[in-house]
Amino acid sequence: MADKLAEATLASGKRIPYVITDNPPRGGMKYTYFAPDKSYVVQFFNDPEDAADPNIQSRIEAIISRYNPTLPESKGGAKGNDERIAAYFAGRFCWPTGIVVDPEFGIVCPTYPKSFFFDESSSPVINLKGKDKKSNWFTSKNRRYLAPHELGDLRSMMQMSLLLARSIRRLHQAGLAHSDLSNNNVLIDPKTGNCVVIDIDSLVVPGLYPPEVAGTRGYIAPEVLESLNLDMNDPNRISPSSYTDLHALGVLIYEYLFLRHPLIGPKIYDMDSAENDDYLALGSKATFIENPDDTSNRPKDLYVTIKDLGPILEKLFLRTFVDGLHNPEYRPTAMEWERGLVKTWDLLHHCSNPSCEQKWFVLYDSSVTKCPYCGHRIAEKEIVRLKLKQEIRGHEGQWRDYAEVDVVNNTPLFKWHFQSSVFPDEKADKTLQAYICRHNGEWFLINRNADGLMSPEGNSVPSGQAIKLYDGAVFRMYRGERGLLAEISITKVR
Amino acid sequence: MSDFTRRLPVYLLLDTSGSMSGDPIEAVKQGVKALISELRGDPQALETAYLSVITFNSQARQVTPLTELMLFKEPQISAGGATAFGAALSLLADCIRNEVRKSTETQKGDWKPLVFILTDGAPTDDWRSAAEELKATHPANIIACAAGAYADTTVLKELTECVLMMNNLSAGDLAQFFTWVSSSIKMSSKSLDAKPGANIELPPPPQGFVIVP
Repeated sequence: MADKLAEATLASGKRIPYVITDNPPRGGMKYTYFAPDKSYVVQFFNDPEDAADPNIQSRIEAIISRYNPTLPESKGGAKGNDERIAAYFAGRFCWPTGIVVDPEFGIVCPTYPKSFFFDESSSPVINLKGKDKKSNWFTSKNRRYLAPHELGDLRSMMQMSLLLARSIRRLHQAGLAHSDLSNNNVLIDPKTGNCVVIDIDSLVVPGLYPPEVAGTRGYIAPEVLESLNLDMNDPNRISPSSYTDLHALGVLIYEYLFLRHPLIGPKIYDMDSAENDDYLALGSKATFIENPDDTSNRPKDLYVTIKDLGPILEKLFLRTFVDGLHNPEYRPTAMEWERGLVKTWDLLHHCSNPSCEQKWFVLYDSSVTKCPYCGHRIAEKEIVRLKLKQEIRGHEGQWRDYAEVDVVNNTPLFKWHFQSSVFPDEKADKTLQAYICRHNGEWFLINRNADGLMSPEGNSVPSGQAIKLYDGAVFRMYRGERGLLAEISITKVR
Repeated sequence: MSDFTRRLPVYLLLDTSGSMSGDPIEAVKQGVKALISELRGDPQALETAYLSVITFNSQARQVTPLTELMLFKEPQISAGGATAFGAALSLLADCIRNEVRKSTETQKGDWKPLVFILTDGAPTDDWRSAAEELKATHPANIIACAAGAYADTTVLKELTECVLMMNNLSAGDLAQFFTWVSSSIKMSSKSLDAKPGANIELPPPPQGFVIVP
């Protein structure tokens, strides 16, 4: 059967064309047809009962309007959303834009950007042109079939992790839960460090009937998997929620940063049945491969571990996969992941080995002397750190550690390095405030746009002027309220 | 780090008896080719699925042993002879015994194999004991497809609950069958999960195919 042009009528009355093809791409719930110019897709439900289900219809109506972070409030989107934030999240989510009412109930979604599709140069051995970039191309042994330029490095993987954490934080902030976060529903482009969350129609929406999805193997939270055999209406059956999203989010971030699954290790739980073994390995008996107290599932050849990403991320992983693995309320929130990743981002250090595959590593303190990925020693003669401290509320003059920045020539500084009240989220002002550079063997902080910067001697440093930095120099990044205190440390590399 | 991914063994049992000669056997060859290319483009299938081809006419022969997708080479297939269905089933049981990994204390066993059978006729040998054994020991999830007017669906029903029928042996229908096999493998490699013992999920059969109740 040849392709056939058809027309769909939207709830708004608008009519849009789409192309009916044989064997349309089919997911667990829906199948997909493309627009003639491929700028959007029209999706229908596999099961006609789903399409006729008023619960599904009202959920999707809520999702495309009052819960929509990709639409400004002025156009019927989420409350408080302005044009800029809406545009930001339109790049983070493939959010449905309309409801199809004829020929049957369905949805319209934008097509994801080109960068999330492979092209002819993506693999020297498989023709991947036009296939979407599902993350397990990059995080499994399938990696070996991809061209090196597709693979990204630790920095781009960390950026993707951060963007994903931010997207999930935005959902949870509105009370939504994705309910089926997985390698299939987050497309990634490690080359540019971008990701996009797709399959938004099965969100859990507050007060509305929840979707009947359990999730995807490897990403379903253990408590959901364990209770999957119970009846839908059994009160002990655990449904997807923001807590179960937080399990999936942790798994995805772990996979991006380590290129392996956190729970799939050598341990055998049931020798007789592969299916039951897997059920236990991801469910009631799940054991983190890096659990410090239970090494029964630890692979023998585990070289790079959560410790190598520094204490902030190490703690978040332990909370997700040790404390919180079977206790959902202990899992870190998406916002904690977002903040932890932002702080770790400032500690990324470029590996001086030109053939290092990861290109970057986390220089979390001076005990790190070599790249954990390639073993190459740090080439710099000295390590320069900007240590930021926050004043303890109600205790004037007492400061506690807030964040650290690994400084190299031309390290940029933004508002969030000056004030603890500014957080680098989608709303943050990303204007360069200052930068640190090296000149004739000495280090300087050059003020470009920052107000309230003080020198170590206590003088105001207006924009255009610089502070000479030395080991032990202490100065205020911002004189006003919630301003951070900076301390410079310059240590010789042993 | 070592690879702890479980394999999903997939066996294709293809009827290459005389009645398949001409266009049908060419369509089967094209179908296998398309199947491989399609599965190589699916990351989960590529990671987990291993494929073997068993053909049967007057004899049964494993033309490709269980092989990972990237190393799979299209087998030489030609049609002619009778329909030794029983021999094919016995060979399948042997291959599963020899090739499918069982769990040990140190090694993860394979997933339960998926078997797709395509036949256009009725067995010409004794098939009953081999079918009964497979049905009783259930070493694999078997999906059988009766192709064309002369295929014997009652025989297939003796072997498995899951029997499909396509009305004619046209190249188009055979191509659709292989597309459906590839969707089934993709779906299985994604949803290898959840409730142990639950029925495997398969995509809806292509248009013109009916499920034999």
